[in-house]
Amino acid sequence: MKMCGIIFSEMYSDELNAFTHDRNMAAIPYGGRYRLVDFALSNMVNSGITSVGVLAKQHYHSLMTHLGNTQEWDLNRKNGGLQIIPPYASESLNHANRGKLDELRNALDFLREDTSPYVVMADAHVICNMDYRPVLESHMKSGCDITVVGTPNTQNNDTTYKAVMQTDENMRVTSYALDHVPQPGDYCGMSTMVIDRQVLIDTVMEFTARGIYFLERDFIQSRFNSGELSINLYPFEEPVLRVNSIESYFSSNMALLDENISGSLFRPDRPIYTRVNDEVPSHYGMNCNIADCIIADGCILDGNAENSVISRSVRIAKNATVKNCIIMQGSVIGEGALLENVIVDKWATISAGSQLKGLATAPVIIRKGVTV
Amino acid sequence: MIERKKECISMLLAGGQGSRLYVLTENTAKPAVPFGGKYRIIDFSLSNCVNSGIDTVGILTQYQPLELNDYIGNGQPWDLNRNFGGAHVLPPYTKTKNNQWYKGTANAIYQNIPFIERYQPEYVLILSGDHIYKMDYNKMLQFHKDKGSECTIAVITVSPDDATRMGIMSTDENQAIVDFEEKPAHPKSNQASMGVYIFTWAALKKYLIADEADPKSENDFGKNVIPAFLRDGRPMYAYPFEGYWKDVGTLDSLWDANMDLLDPNDPLDMRDPHSKIYARNYASPSTLISASSKVSNSFITEGCQIKGTIENSVLYTGCVVEEGAVVSGTVLMPNTIVRKGSTVNYAIIGEQCVIEENVTIGARPEDSVGENWGISVVGHKKTIPSGTVIKPKEIV
Repeated sequence: MKMCGIIFSEMYSDELNAFTHDRNMAAIPYGGRYRLVDFALSNMVNSGITSVGVLAKQHYHSLMTHLGNTQEWDLNRKNGGLQIIPPYASESLNHANRGKLDELRNALDFLREDTSPYVVMADAHVICNMDYRPVLESHMKSGCDITVVGTPNTQNNDTTYKAVMQTDENMRVTSYALDHVPQPGDYCGMSTMVIDRQVLIDTVMEFTARGIYFLERDFIQSRFNSGELSINLYPFEEPVLRVNSIESYFSSNMALLDENISGSLFRPDRPIYTRVNDEVPSHYGMNCNIADCIIADGCILDGNAENSVISRSVRIAKNATVKNCIIMQGSVIGEGALLENVIVDKWATISAGSQLKGLATAPVIIRKGVTV
Repeated sequence: MIERKKECISMLLAGGQGSRLYVLTENTAKPAVPFGGKYRIIDFSLSNCVNSGIDTVGILTQYQPLELNDYIGNGQPWDLNRNFGGAHVLPPYTKTKNNQWYKGTANAIYQNIPFIERYQPEYVLILSGDHIYKMDYNKMLQFHKDKGSECTIAVITVSPDDATRMGIMSTDENQAIVDFEEKPAHPKSNQASMGVYIFTWAALKKYLIADEADPKSENDFGKNVIPAFLRDGRPMYAYPFEGYWKDVGTLDSLWDANMDLLDPNDPLDMRDPHSKIYARNYASPSTLISASSKVSNSFITEGCQIKGTIENSVLYTGCVVEEGAVVSGTVLMPNTIVRKGSTVNYAIIGEQCVIEENVTIGARPEDSVGENWGISVVGHKKTIPSGTVIKPKEIV
């Protein structure tokens, strides 16, 4: 046991507020049966980490219900296990996002009680299947102060990434830019890093005492620029999906239809665990027509579905059609309804005959529990 | 010292070999045989216990217990990981004086008297782990108490034909049992035992001890203990059960019961949120249904990849059906692969099989001649080489 884990469950963006209205980022449903947090959490468990702190700030009831006693992740342990770390109500609650160092201050007790020499930190909204053990190995070998994980930027696109890095041939970071557009050959940060536990504790105490709260900007970048911090980059070449907007949420769900991506995310040797619901297998009706769909258990499918992600216990009635849609748990699509580019949150009802059409870049969103 | 007690505990007989399931129970006990997409047969009895508020279940194993032991684990999937009570796997064990296997169903309970006495129960529910049904045992227990019964046997109405293969009860107008016959040639009634018994523990204990002392006894509930209760005129009642109940002891009945799940009227009431059937879950992703597939009237569990044609079938977790393959009227058990160009009709395919390309298994009844038709069965972990033809009724 060489590492403990920290998962940041918030993202601090209003981009997804249609879904984060009453749940935090980590608890957003994904891929028919998962919540975003399942990936980082399963990765930690599959890397042999038995002590994980999940930092939560707002609306974390849904996250708590999802994690339950954490039996599904095998984290119901006497020693270590999983802790949800809420903010100290008196201090940070009234402040809006003040940064990861501020959040880590709430985790100081967790970090101090742990005995592992290293900490791995990950964001709940970065979806991948990753073994953190080679990252730790690379960190120890490098002798650097911190190791960050990045994906090679193979195509020159205009997406802005949190951290964009260049390295020398030994994977030492030579340039560290934030909220920047990557060039070919650059590495795009995944907000996943390994650091010495004591260094992290000292850093959090020192910085927050001075009212400095941003991990990437105020600690990593600033210390790197002044030559006080050496950064090792661990390149991750497998598919990574970053959810930070409605558009990327939509495309990350649809990406599961790509067998290369789903094959990399769902490997039998490193399964992604989630809460068990004991649903019945899905029933595919006599006249259903399903093409290119991801389908969870408990559904009754009598209508048509194309290019969609259908979560647990969804009902699609006769002659209803869903196309390019994400239908979350327990929603009902009434007879003859037609949905295209729609995200239907949990337990919503689409009345018979309704027609809803969005655009791939701007899907229509139906809120949780709503009847349309 | 005041000791903790349980009013009613359950003893689940899970030691059966299930020899009429042939290859499917070659290396595993019958209760561990997969059923209904994501379940094992034993899940039904276990879930019924939990849903009836019975939180102490002794699971008596004997034949090929490894898979079953593993499956039950600490009982957590059924909410049976309890501080006092919960699921306990009870294999036969070595004792100071004599060592023996479970000689019969009654002897299995006899050997576990010390386990039962730990809970000082008023009543003991005896179940067998090889039936598919949903039942509220609490209602039956209430019936047992109301009637002042010492032995209550759940019964279901069967056809005269089926009656010749089952334990048949004759009752008076009060549901009191007046006669019991095991597999009668000329049944006097259509009330068949479901293999679900509630005994008042004090009475059962007495009879188990007496039965053990009788060297001529086969130590079996149906053959010895229940006839002894009847002979002595003990208060015995038949509890009439209405609803879906199926003995899945043969390949045909196992196939039938799987196909019953496709009935849109849901005779087993699988979707009732208050009586869920629990099972050990494996972490597999949602099922992927590709554009090249054609799926109709089927039960498909999470973790499958479907590119071929599936009709009137039940697919368990982790099955792969490649493009151009056809699976019809078939039960595919967990993690089985059907490769391109293969056709599987009216069959049960065991766990972790690989059906290579262009294999033909089974046939539709309408395409086959008369007597020779029947379902085809492939055992667990078999690889069927390309081009093989497996005929209807064949067991591989």
